Amino acid sequence: MPRSANAVDFWRGVALVEIFVNHIPGNFWEHFTHKTLSQSDSAELFVFLAGWSLKHVVGPPEDPRPTRHLIMRLFLRAGTLYAAHMVIVMAAIALLAISSKLLDNPLLLEWFNASAVFTAPVEAHIGLVFLTYQLGYFDILPLYVVLLFASPFIALMHRHRPSMLLPISAAIWFVCLVGEITFPTWPTEGEWFFDPLCWQFDFVLGFLLARSTGPGPWIRANLVPIRWIALPIVVFAGWARWVGWEVDPTAAPEPHLLFVNDKSFLTPTRIGQFLLLVALASPLWAPLEKHLPTLTRALSLLGRNSLLVFCIGSLLALAAQILRFAIRGGIVSDTLIVACGLGIMFTTAAVADWWERQG
Amino acid sequence: MSTKRRMCSISLAAAIALVGETSARGQPAMAPVPTECATPGADGQPAVGFPNLVRAMNLRHRIVVLAIGSAVVGAGRPGGGYYRLVERFLESTFKGLDVVLVQRGFSGELARDGAERIRLEVARSSPDMVFWQVGTADAMAGIDPAETQEIVRSTIRWLHEHQIDVALIGLHYTPSLRDDPQYQAMRQAISDVARSEGVLRIRRYEVGETLDRLRRQPSDAIAATDLGSLGDACMAEHLARSLATGLFARRRPVDVDKPGSGAR
Repeated sequence: MPRSANAVDFWRGVALVEIFVNHIPGNFWEHFTHKTLSQSDSAELFVFLAGWSLKHVVGPPEDPRPTRHLIMRLFLRAGTLYAAHMVIVMAAIALLAISSKLLDNPLLLEWFNASAVFTAPVEAHIGLVFLTYQLGYFDILPLYVVLLFASPFIALMHRHRPSMLLPISAAIWFVCLVGEITFPTWPTEGEWFFDPLCWQFDFVLGFLLARSTGPGPWIRANLVPIRWIALPIVVFAGWARWVGWEVDPTAAPEPHLLFVNDKSFLTPTRIGQFLLLVALASPLWAPLEKHLPTLTRALSLLGRNSLLVFCIGSLLALAAQILRFAIRGGIVSDTLIVACGLGIMFTTAAVADWWERQG
Repeated sequence: MSTKRRMCSISLAAAIALVGETSARGQPAMAPVPTECATPGADGQPAVGFPNLVRAMNLRHRIVVLAIGSAVVGAGRPGGGYYRLVERFLESTFKGLDVVLVQRGFSGELARDGAERIRLEVARSSPDMVFWQVGTADAMAGIDPAETQEIVRSTIRWLHEHQIDVALIGLHYTPSLRDDPQYQAMRQAISDVARSEGVLRIRRYEVGETLDRLRRQPSDAIAATDLGSLGDACMAEHLARSLATGLFARRRPVDVDKPGSGAR
């Protein structure tokens, strides 16, 4: 039976909806996702909740999952994600190729970074398999795949040296920020949009804060004062985002990445503001569940079928971008496109739930 | 590789070889533009200069160029991607010059996101010049051209305030968008802002249009050529030549130092 609505699935559902809307750049509804008033966006939330969910695989401290089972399960999950990524990338390439033909427009391939598949197919396919070549807007799953392949090591480190996990994760993040260390792309020249070496910190924080031992309980016990500290900072960050105020990166002290807002490297500004936002938003679940049960159940439905919904949502967002280009619409067409996309995502999740109930 | 593409590469290589030969004798010169790329490819000369590039060249014999915009395929192409052609052209034209190319392209990135990233990447790599491919993704995503124009304008001004030269690389050409008002409005917006801010604009659209016209002539061998690849090669050709011309014109000792330059 599918699990009942809960806070983690609900927030994951929120992230999935926002990722879908944000992956249709230029659409009217993009202005209504929380990135408009926040230094961070739904990507931080999605990865944080992925780390949070790791606690269910690891098991509670009093009844941990056997190590062999733990490792196998995490590697299998990583393999499933990798396969899902490959499937949606191939589907995306086909969708782009078909659209390019139908609209007589080769720019569609260039627009989403797919041109290498057709102009340098040998290198591009090697890059696709090794994740060094990523289509535009299909760059979160490669990060997620790398994090899940790393998750057995994270879980084992936590099991055997629990006090070391946070310092090691933070140290890797800090060194990569200072040294600007990231993964290169190939055959396209550049860098990964999401640096896994930095984003692992978000994943590990999600895992550690979810646990009933370690820093999680201390933070939960002190949430009230933390929220009082968080409130003015989050409000200020929202105002800065709204008016477009930001630190000139060239004026920031070195190493620059420690003082500026950058998504690729998950800079301290982003992760710090995100954690404070989590502290402020976390109490919303209870009143929302009480007063808006339909909404919370619907978003939880998306959240508990996250991989399937994410994959469908990625392809729908791509199709929506192409459709917006083809019809050159406005607010009305944007509304219809987004509503249809969300409708398909909810239907997919409902069908997956129904299928699970049959089993 | 198609015959024409090979010809284009060979002619470019020959140009580089020829320039290298003359440079070695202390008299820099450029080979003729390959026939396929003969259409005027750049706006802005002769008024456009590259004071920051010249300063870096004279002081350090090293220039750092940041490329923002579409991701560029380097592998599988003879000599690497088209920016590598620019790099090699300049290094061959100016003997002893070290051109450091920092590629940070993300395909599909809108001008607003590119502008944010330019500021960060400037802090990371301290470039003397930015190549910015801009407009195509915004036009495809239906962004208001006036909004994109304002972002590009403010970014150019910010770069100039930080003593960094700019070259805009205009929109791609494809026949199906010849009559698309949104696309053409964006093209005009980028052209206008380049003109009003006095920066070099590589006329990628016009180059592509000319190549397409040549390709449609039945007797021409260019018909068998991949238009996009040839357009890229010509774009590199025009970009390199515009830079070289600007550098030749302005090359002289400078007395102003620029702190903090050099890629890391």
